[in-house]
Amino acid sequence: MSDRLDQLEARIDELRAGVRRAMRVKDTATARALRAELRAAERSWDTLVTGGLDGSPRVPDGAPQGLVTVREQAHQALTLLGAPAQPRLIAAVGEAFLGGTLRGSQLTSLRRDEERSFASSPYGRPYYLCAALTDRLAPARGLLTVSTWPLERRMVGPLSPRVDFLTCAIAVARHLSPDPRAARLLARMARNIPGGAAGDLGPPDPDRVIEAAANELAVHAERDTRDRADLAERATSQLDDRARLFGGTTLITVAGAAATAANGGAPTGPPAGPYVLGAPDKGAGATAARTKTRNTPTRGRR
Amino acid sequence: MNRLDALRGTTPQKPHDARAIAALAANPGCARRALLDGAGIDKDAAARHLGFPAPFGQSPFAITRGNVFEALVKADGCAELLRMLRELLGLPIAEVAYHDVENVGAHLRHAHTRALFDRAARDGGDAGTVYDHPLLSLDIAGHTAYLEPDVVAFQLGGRFHIVEIKSFAVIDGQADPSAVAAAARQAAVYVLALRRMLRELGHDPLRVAHDVVLVCPENFANRPVASPLDVRRQLGVLERQLSRMTGLDRLLDGLPADLTFDLLPDEDGLPTRPAAELADALRGATARYAPDCLSACDLCFFCRDEARQEGATDLLGRHVRDELGGVASVGEALGLADGARDPAEGQEEIARLLRNAERLRRECLA
Amino acid sequence: MSLLTSLARLRALDEGIAQPIATVRHVHLSARPMVFIPLKLSGEAAAPLAAVLGTERDRPHLLVVTQPRNRDLRFAWAAELAGLLLPYIEGFLAATETVERRNADPYERALDAPQLVLPNPAGVAFTRLLGRSTRFRRADGPYPVPASVPLLGRWLTYFGERAAFPGSSLMPAVTEELGRHWASGQSGLEDANLAAQLGWITEGPSDDAEDPLIWPPAGPATDPGFDAEVLAPAIESGSAERVTEALRTQLEPTWRLMWRAIDLLAGLPEGASVAQRWEHDRGSFSGMAAQLAEGAPPQARRDGAVAAASRLARLERAQAAYEVQRAYDDPLVMAEHRLTGEAFAGEVVETDPEHAEGEGRSRKLRPLVVIKTDDPVRLAPGTALGTPQRRAQGAQLVSARDGLVTLKITKGMGRGRTPAPGSVPEVGERVCYTSLTDDFQGSAALPEAEATPWTHGGPPREYEPGDEDAREEWS
Ligand code: SF4
Repeated sequence: MSDRLDQLEARIDELRAGVRRAMRVKDTATARALRAELRAAERSWDTLVTGGLDGSPRVPDGAPQGLVTVREQAHQALTLLGAPAQPRLIAAVGEAFLGGTLRGSQLTSLRRDEERSFASSPYGRPYYLCAALTDRLAPARGLLTVSTWPLERRMVGPLSPRVDFLTCAIAVARHLSPDPRAARLLARMARNIPGGAAGDLGPPDPDRVIEAAANELAVHAERDTRDRADLAERATSQLDDRARLFGGTTLITVAGAAATAANGGAPTGPPAGPYVLGAPDKGAGATAARTKTRNTPTRGRR
Repeated sequence: MNRLDALRGTTPQKPHDARAIAALAANPGCARRALLDGAGIDKDAAARHLGFPAPFGQSPFAITRGNVFEALVKADGCAELLRMLRELLGLPIAEVAYHDVENVGAHLRHAHTRALFDRAARDGGDAGTVYDHPLLSLDIAGHTAYLEPDVVAFQLGGRFHIVEIKSFAVIDGQADPSAVAAAARQAAVYVLALRRMLRELGHDPLRVAHDVVLVCPENFANRPVASPLDVRRQLGVLERQLSRMTGLDRLLDGLPADLTFDLLPDEDGLPTRPAAELADALRGATARYAPDCLSACDLCFFCRDEARQEGATDLLGRHVRDELGGVASVGEALGLADGARDPAEGQEEIARLLRNAERLRRECLA
Repeated sequence: MSLLTSLARLRALDEGIAQPIATVRHVHLSARPMVFIPLKLSGEAAAPLAAVLGTERDRPHLLVVTQPRNRDLRFAWAAELAGLLLPYIEGFLAATETVERRNADPYERALDAPQLVLPNPAGVAFTRLLGRSTRFRRADGPYPVPASVPLLGRWLTYFGERAAFPGSSLMPAVTEELGRHWASGQSGLEDANLAAQLGWITEGPSDDAEDPLIWPPAGPATDPGFDAEVLAPAIESGSAERVTEALRTQLEPTWRLMWRAIDLLAGLPEGASVAQRWEHDRGSFSGMAAQLAEGAPPQARRDGAVAAASRLARLERAQAAYEVQRAYDDPLVMAEHRLTGEAFAGEVVETDPEHAEGEGRSRKLRPLVVIKTDDPVRLAPGTALGTPQRRAQGAQLVSARDGLVTLKITKGMGRGRTPAPGSVPEVGERVCYTSLTDDFQGSAALPEAEATPWTHGGPPREYEPGDEDAREEWS
């Protein structure tokens, strides 16, 4: 068997070198073909080395975790928060309060699935995880909401992101449990609310967080409520049922929004190379980033 | 067709990004680079086609890290960012309005950005505070480059601040100086672009602060920390370089009328021009190779190879070249050192030094 | 870099092989060096990925963080590293000598000291960061780590600080040391590539050295292509073996280069002052060990104003002393000063050993020596001179013209009416004199730490690491 392993290793080295050589001259077709061969060789190696005991050590993405589905976990977390939220926060809440094992990346395709389901049988489900709507009545990047909420709550005016953050902080503080993960989440939020954290250390005081957040909320509430009501009115008069849930314009597609959320914009890290010291002022982006933006205006950092 | 377009020929124009624009100032004396950049030619593609691919790449780990950090700074309605701006700029509590300019389709984003900033500059505090990924533009030798800063913050008191989010760490108050310098050069490009936009809109360009806000992770955690960064010097260098780029005509005058750097791409965008022909064309524009090119210019391996063939002292670095008093070739310098060659006028002093150095080396190594 | 080095670079370029710029070795080489090659995760400040280390070339120890984003694994890695480095370091503490001091108590100095050999300055900087990220950890409390981890952090911090000290050999970077002894035919920037630099010194330049597939970078940064095509899929696969094997391929070539470089340096005879500088290193090492034994707190995050200023002053003095010592030890380094006219060498053509100045009780012996030299002397009459041939000697320039230099000896010829035998050079002897001398002004009088002026932040508070230091995330 070790003969076979030796052979495989030699082959893997050869293929790897081939892939990297191809990538260097940006010969993507060759690289792709070699990469496929390489993955196959690596799989054989893994199987041989582990004696073929377990083929795939990983749980496939999107599979139900225990009994509660990703969708249900997200719904519970959003209900607890009571305001539009990003996948990251939803996952953190799921982990800290609901014993969930949600990962933010599992949520990015959720909205698209929900929209498809709604399209094939409108209102076939008791609730949908849907979009928050911007002042152009388009879906806001990377925010999830619940279809059963009042429309105003799903609107995003200029002040709404802040208002929603404060609302979420209050919700987290109200539900604070002895779980250290919950305390960590609250501490992180408290730090960003004036008067919310006593210092950098020690567990956050939920009452203090609630009071501080409420104080700041009072500053923004009036204008935000007005903005949201205006938007909701426009949404009601201008959008059909589906667009009201998933966004009106097609300028930015839901899929596009999900992809952007997943990529999170352009890379910030400095390029590296044998002679690149620190972060040079040189655009040397990864291939993916380059091709991605070829026909659009260039991104800031590459 | 103007001559710069002729230089590019049928090759699609490569848009400049902020980092590329900042790098224009890296080797200002190089005519080859000025022409290639001025014409908007993809230097990376040219280098690959010539068989000298640039030695740059970016690790997926670094890319992921950068993305994760930026997302963290902007998460939850920019909660972390607002905290830092409140601390650093004294932003009032009421100022939290957030505009995600990226919610607008790519082709409308620039116009939307203009409208938003026009309103902010006119109406003051009520218009907005944090603009996420606005789209600015800058004219480079007659071509428009579109630029996307991480964030622009607008503050009561009517000032705009560029916010630059970088994922290199600040450890005990210190960061890698070369990384900070690169961030400053890049931020200066945004400051300039925003200033020009305001001027076009009839507002005072100096409302864009020359202090940019640099946001980095602190120590070994992911926790962001903001520091002010004065980019006045970088702005000066940039403006000077951009004004020189408009003077490319002078460089063009010295070149044959039919010179072109066209890659002649086929339908798939793959270059079809014979590499040797392209290399000859490039050699027609004088380069000024220096080892610094190895970290700043896609053509570096091509130009280094050329310098090697010419036996140029440039290969050893500016420092050596300066010390040799501008003696440009290795053979010439060595000839002066062992007396095989008589110094030309003006070379007497360096020749004397070199002969002395040669005598001392021989004596010590005998 | 001097013109002499530039000339050597030109010669190297012309001949296709590096040229010597030193005739002796200026760095101490341990009989049992610890070669240490760390790798870090791209994009992170101080996230270790792997390291290979060891004191025997056929027994490299490979330590790998198989899941670099997992902080528990990182600390486990740090503990493993401590398990190898601490016994090595502490192994030098047992054998000591007693050193007597004027105006101070005698102290114990280790007879030998550890030496960590890193590939390049970036590796040294990363080692210092590793120290910074581990020294405040605690064995108890909210995020406990094994007790060896903070101890390792304090040692690595110490080595990192010492590496900034000119002439110290406790943690040398190989590319720097090679560059001090050989001039390649490429730029300094390219010399930072260990494979390329070694190539120039041994076989001559080759493009292979810049091909990461043949010679992976010597760290701590990995090749971006390797990250994308090999490491990321390996980590993704969840297979620890695969990650380990991937990183082994990146470290093994450098491991071989490191020992090759050590051999090259070892091939040079040791310079005369190297032992003296190593003695300082040994003393400093023993001092650090004593501090640890006394239970001193970890090194502060930042120096106070006085500590920073006095540190700078010490570095400056060490730098000056290091330069003079190298010139005295090595004719090829001295040649740089001869080229600029601060030193000259030649043959003694005439002496007056019994020459004296003054009369009666104030009569002083001042032997005269006349030297014929081809060097361009640019020294004024009255300049104090020293000579590598007789280090205790002091002299003064009397006159210099037409290739003849007259000097008088002022020190180091004994107390008698005639000079001690051998203290005045003989006619026909080759000698070298220079205005560089190793007696420097004492340290500028800096206030004691307690007296820091308020303009510089007032007296520093004794650094007491708090809970925050211990808990600081390492994510
Ligand atoms: S690599 Fe060549 S083209 Fe680029 S700046 Fe240097 S000399 Fe000019």
